[in-house]
Amino acid sequence: MEAVEIYVVQLMHGLVYGMLIFMVTSGLTLVLGMMGILNITHAAFYMLGAYFGYSLALSLNSFWLSLLISPLIVSGLAVIIERFFLRGTYGGGHIPQVLLTFGLFFIISELVRLIWGSTPLRLAEPALLEGGISFMGRVFPIYRLFIIGFSSLIFLAMALLLLRTRIGVIIRAAVSDADMVEALGNNVPAYFVGVFAVGAFLAALAGVIAAPLLSVFSGMGDQVLIDCFVVVIIGGFGSLVGALIASLMIGQLQAFGSLWFPELALVLQFLLMVVVLVIRPTGLLGEEI
Amino acid sequence: MSRNRIYKITGAVATVFLLLVLAPKFLPEMKIHLATEIMIFALFAVSFNLLYGYGGMLAFGFAAFFGFGAYATALIISRIPAMPLLLTLAIAALSGFVMALLIGPLAVRLKGTYFALITFAFQMFLYAIALKWRDVTNGDDGIGIARPDLYLPFLGNLSMAEISNLYYVTLALVALGIIACYLFLKTPLGNSIMCIRDNDVRSSFLGYSVYLTKVTVFCLSGFLAGLAGGLFVLFNEFVATNCIDLSMSFLVVLMALVGGTGQFLGPILGAAFYITFQDWVSSLTQRWWLFIGALYVVVILYIPDGLISLFKSERIRLFGNRKRG
Repeated sequence: MEAVEIYVVQLMHGLVYGMLIFMVTSGLTLVLGMMGILNITHAAFYMLGAYFGYSLALSLNSFWLSLLISPLIVSGLAVIIERFFLRGTYGGGHIPQVLLTFGLFFIISELVRLIWGSTPLRLAEPALLEGGISFMGRVFPIYRLFIIGFSSLIFLAMALLLLRTRIGVIIRAAVSDADMVEALGNNVPAYFVGVFAVGAFLAALAGVIAAPLLSVFSGMGDQVLIDCFVVVIIGGFGSLVGALIASLMIGQLQAFGSLWFPELALVLQFLLMVVVLVIRPTGLLGEEI
Repeated sequence: MSRNRIYKITGAVATVFLLLVLAPKFLPEMKIHLATEIMIFALFAVSFNLLYGYGGMLAFGFAAFFGFGAYATALIISRIPAMPLLLTLAIAALSGFVMALLIGPLAVRLKGTYFALITFAFQMFLYAIALKWRDVTNGDDGIGIARPDLYLPFLGNLSMAEISNLYYVTLALVALGIIACYLFLKTPLGNSIMCIRDNDVRSSFLGYSVYLTKVTVFCLSGFLAGLAGGLFVLFNEFVATNCIDLSMSFLVVLMALVGGTGQFLGPILGAAFYITFQDWVSSLTQRWWLFIGALYVVVILYIPDGLISLFKSERIRLFGNRKRG
């Protein structure tokens, strides 16, 4: 019966990583859907969230406060980046935006290395969530369960916001046709700044939450960047549900991939992306072109 | 083209070529090194610009062809030492071509962002293979090679360890590649790709096969990028996953953009500027990635049309195609 337990545990690990990736990707895919911007700096928001979270948790001596403050700082930074850098490139096609955000990603990564050094840092999980619970004869860390629960809550909150409020209606409408929504008298750029800031907030939140689990290191942005790209492509631009499905797929693929064929997990992930793009270029739930 | 213009172009090209041929006699070894690297990346950027600037196809995964050619070269040199060098480089170019032939028919059906992302997907797939298939590619550690000698019919064996010999081989092949690219754009096929870039629906009504033309251009630029990759391995004496990763893909876009993608000479200027800039900055500080990042930001925000747009004299414009509207 041991095999079943391993599978269940791997399933949970995959779920944890999938939900983390989803939290990062949700903002990215909405920004992409609304304004057509492939924002590479988004992965840097995740990394900054983790580093700020680390420093704040040490100086404030509270994980929970840093979980709130670090994403706030990062989303403030995101607004600055949107205002002063990205705004100049709207309407110029993808190349300027991608290269600009890629350059900013370089700069932020290098600054992070300059400030915090290259050695991985370890943020302790909060005392409340230490330890593990017995689960089918194995110990499963409470902290991972917390990640699953917390990110599910975030997903529910976002779903409610997008489906049940007026703001959500406008955002969803702007994803499918921003010009028309603007013509109807809505201030789309203002909504866009909001989505951009909330997206950065969520990415940073994921960064803080991931810090005790995956540790804080200077390459964490690169890693999550690639996974985010894969998720957005597989899920379809602007589709939150697509991003959720794709995140969970990637999470499971990595969890079981590392169990069964560790050498091939990464290859399979990109193969999946290639196959989806060849068969259905718009992704699983993206709009038809 | 008027006769007068042909004379001017031929004269300018001959002058530049003569300068390049004489350069190693006067330059210190470090500078020859730098010039070799510039030429290799100039070829890479020109091949990218053939696809993007002239074909209107933005590929985010263009390093796939460069990296594939690079790995092919490294594997041949390390496993089949008896292979003549020029044949190895031909195989490198051909492997870029074959990879483009595999990816192209699937990719060119898509347009815009989707095209960009599918090339990115294929490039990441190849990257993952290069990273994980350790038996062949040596994973992260990469493959180191020793430059083999080049045998030429009347000159005998040329030692590639001598940097000036490598410089001349690179110069010859890069010049061939770039001139081939330039002449290709003057053929009816080369003109039709610009026509398709500007309006693909109208082009297909005029009887051009949009699909086949795009695949052809895709394969040609894959061929040149593969050659650039092969030359880069020869120059660097080492290949690793950084030849086929995302940064390399964006680097070539940056080089083309720094120079200016609307003009034939733009990417060459961009490659020269970027390599020189990188060489200069990395000699100043350890934190040179900071400056490379800043270069991306400054170029996009302040010189979106590239350096070549800064000196828009009539003489320079003679070499360019019409600016894209």
